[in-house]
Amino acid sequence: MPGRLIEWIDQRFPLSSFVKHELTGYPTPYNLSYWWNFGFLAGFVLMLQVATGIFLAMHYKADVALSFDSIQHIMRDVNYGWLLRYMHATGASAFFFVIFIHMARTLYYGSYRAPRELLWWTGQGLLLLLMATAFMGYLLPWGQMSFWGATVITNLFRATPFIGDQVVIWLRGDYTVGDATLTRFFALHYLFPFLIIGAVIVHLVALHKVKSSNPSGIDLAHKDNIPFHPYFTIKDLYGLGLFLMLYSVFVFFLPDSLIEPANNIPANPMQTPNHIVPEWYFLPFYAILRSVPNMVGGVLAMGLSVMMFAFMPFLDRSRIPGGAHFRPIYRLQFYLFLLDMLVLGYVGYTPPTDQTLLIGEVATLYYFGSFFFIPFVSKLEERWLIARGLPPEVISLMESEARALKKQNRKHGRRREEDQA
Amino acid sequence: MNKLLNLALLWCLANSATASEIELEKIHKEIDSVALERGVEALMADCHSCHSLKYVKYRDLIQMGLDKRKVDALRGEQLMDAPMMAEMPESDAIQSFGKAPPDLSLMVKAREGGDRYVYSYLLGYYTKPDGMLGNHIYPETRMPDPLGIAGATGTEQRVAIQGRARDIVSFLDWAADPHEVERLHLGNYVLAYLFVLTTLLYLVKQQIWSGLRRE
Repeated sequence: MPGRLIEWIDQRFPLSSFVKHELTGYPTPYNLSYWWNFGFLAGFVLMLQVATGIFLAMHYKADVALSFDSIQHIMRDVNYGWLLRYMHATGASAFFFVIFIHMARTLYYGSYRAPRELLWWTGQGLLLLLMATAFMGYLLPWGQMSFWGATVITNLFRATPFIGDQVVIWLRGDYTVGDATLTRFFALHYLFPFLIIGAVIVHLVALHKVKSSNPSGIDLAHKDNIPFHPYFTIKDLYGLGLFLMLYSVFVFFLPDSLIEPANNIPANPMQTPNHIVPEWYFLPFYAILRSVPNMVGGVLAMGLSVMMFAFMPFLDRSRIPGGAHFRPIYRLQFYLFLLDMLVLGYVGYTPPTDQTLLIGEVATLYYFGSFFFIPFVSKLEERWLIARGLPPEVISLMESEARALKKQNRKHGRRREEDQA
Repeated sequence: MNKLLNLALLWCLANSATASEIELEKIHKEIDSVALERGVEALMADCHSCHSLKYVKYRDLIQMGLDKRKVDALRGEQLMDAPMMAEMPESDAIQSFGKAPPDLSLMVKAREGGDRYVYSYLLGYYTKPDGMLGNHIYPETRMPDPLGIAGATGTEQRVAIQGRARDIVSFLDWAADPHEVERLHLGNYVLAYLFVLTTLLYLVKQQIWSGLRRE
């Protein structure tokens, strides 16, 4: 009976072939390391956030007079409300944790290289959506840090040329962050995850066109691909188990470590907290914002610092595949960049003093400098490495990529000639 | 690379050492119901005339482990489902102290340092040379020394007041997070379960991948 049912469906809808091509039989490089688990983990955390969020929304009230109380109602009176809320609050941090590793892996192994640029750019779009969603969600508990964080960040849009003040009022729905802001942030915080799901589908379609990169950095022969199921379903599930253990330590034993104490005080527009800090995942970008003395410049620098990653396919001009795998200088740049992010995070966390401002400025310069110098450094490094000698499989891949590029250019050229004729 | 890391570490350490903050006192908070009972009674006597705990209902105290008769004695004429509001109306408090006394339901979560902060603050009162009261932890405070630590002379008296402060803070800890015990308890089971599950998944993974290597 099930067989006949599936046959009936298959005549009308490509169910079996879809499952076979895109899920179970999807060809995956055999040599993927555990760093390749984080895409799946990000998808899992997304589902976790949607599931807990929907149940939280059943008890939450988006109203400046009620929202703080409704969180306490969830924490105290709703059955396992504390669990839902801690899972959701911890989940936000878990999401960024997983995404940052996912991005770091892409940067390390050069997975953004042709032909995976669009895959990388859809991921960049997902990062922006995630940041917007997290930022809006942080207003909802209506604590001191929620209120003042939203006030500071919406205020940044004053930097928009000519219509800055109007844009800020348009975003807030009022002259200050208030009830209008809270209700719209709630509405959008509920909407954005579904946009993220849509963008994830686009991301996956792009992935399934170009397939996964792999740690060797070299396109594998067809025979080196193995079906996704059962090899990577079980590998992903094992990784998920490890991830859930770390996540549960935070949810059950350290849930308040990720919540600022000031956010346990109801929002008070008349009283600024001593020190406004964003959530840890925004700290490096916040430090960049503060390091530029001019406001418009700071906002531009912060926006650019998030968007810089998208330029990587253009900035990295080395023809040597495999990211940091075959490239010692790029590898050094990668680790120094991570260190720079940590320094920026520390600067963003501490109250500004002359000393931290100076460190922040140096770290900001290094941040942009490391992107700026990649085109030159990568070219010099390529020349040096080729002179020193590379593994034959790397050379042959570079040659085949060059041939493909030439063929493509010739095709374009011929078409242009035909058009002109 | 390592040198840089060391430098960065050293720099962070040096920085944290120079940041001079008043050392908060350590507190061994109690979670047994006897201490919590002493805590709620001390709080009702010393704090509750001015401070509310609006997110805690009298009925919640039964869940905390308090006897129903004792809750009845504490609540007086208040309903069982009424929140523990201060006896003094807020407007009177503002007239007396110039500021509304903050709600205590989330107090230990709302301050950097948590329960240690509240404990040190309660014990932080001293008499200034001009005879006025001061507080080491929060100098701008408007609250008069509720436990009388500034006037305590003998060691015995100080120890008794420290014990009372510890009881109150232990109760406030419970009030800020009434499900904490349940959460830690459940957390142990969840972690144990995940540990077993993950181990099994690892073994299955090894099993499945070993087939691949043989080919």
